[in-house]
Amino acid sequence: MDRASVLSSMASAAATAVAASPSRAEALSLLRSLLRTASKFNDYNVREYIKRRSLDAFRENKSLSDPSSLASAFSDGKAQLEVAKRQEVVYSLYAPKVKSIMEIKKL
Amino acid sequence: MAAALRPAILRHLRIPAQAQSLTVDPSAPILSSFMNRIRSMSSHGDEHLTHEEVVDRVIDVVKSYPKVDPSKVTPQVHFQKDLGLDSLDTVEIVMALEEEFKLEIPDKEADKIDSCPLAIEYISNHPMAA
Repeated sequence: MDRASVLSSMASAAATAVAASPSRAEALSLLRSLLRTASKFNDYNVREYIKRRSLDAFRENKSLSDPSSLASAFSDGKAQLEVAKRQEVVYSLYAPKVKSIMEIKKL
Repeated sequence: MAAALRPAILRHLRIPAQAQSLTVDPSAPILSSFMNRIRSMSSHGDEHLTHEEVVDRVIDVVKSYPKVDPSKVTPQVHFQKDLGLDSLDTVEIVMALEEEFKLEIPDKEADKIDSCPLAIEYISNHPMAA
């Protein structure tokens, strides 16, 4: 339920299928799906973490050019997206008791 | 606010049913222009965004993006050419615009939005923009 368990489940989510090298549109679409899934969370911390982490990961891999590493990074991303979607369902079962201060204070 | 206005308006306007006609009645110019401007039977909600408002809010969203220099932002800027952003930043900005206007932009359309004018045009034409 917490960040550590999400991370460990991400680490153990092995990419079984070897996807073909993604096109630019597919990669951007994956990023969009990750960001959209993030915005569905009702927990501020997890929401921000998913947004930050997925953007960081995409930026880090921005300069990859060889197809096999592109394909493996893409399938990693897809696996993480599945994890995030499942976690969204689980988190939605338990609404946070208190709203985070970051959501209340409109700067 | 407009919801309270509606019954007040209806209370003051008593239009006999047989007097209604589709042609503009020259003897009642105030009434027809008044009714045209206020969609009193609209169930869609009375907040229709003006173009001004859309421009202002889009500019605000772009200016508050950390990698952007606020002084360079105008309603004509291109994200990648003028602001020096890359495609990932563009995706992030489009997502921020989606949150600001409570829209869901499909991927095909979102890929085309790469500048302020396009964003403003898309949002202004979107019926669900709030």
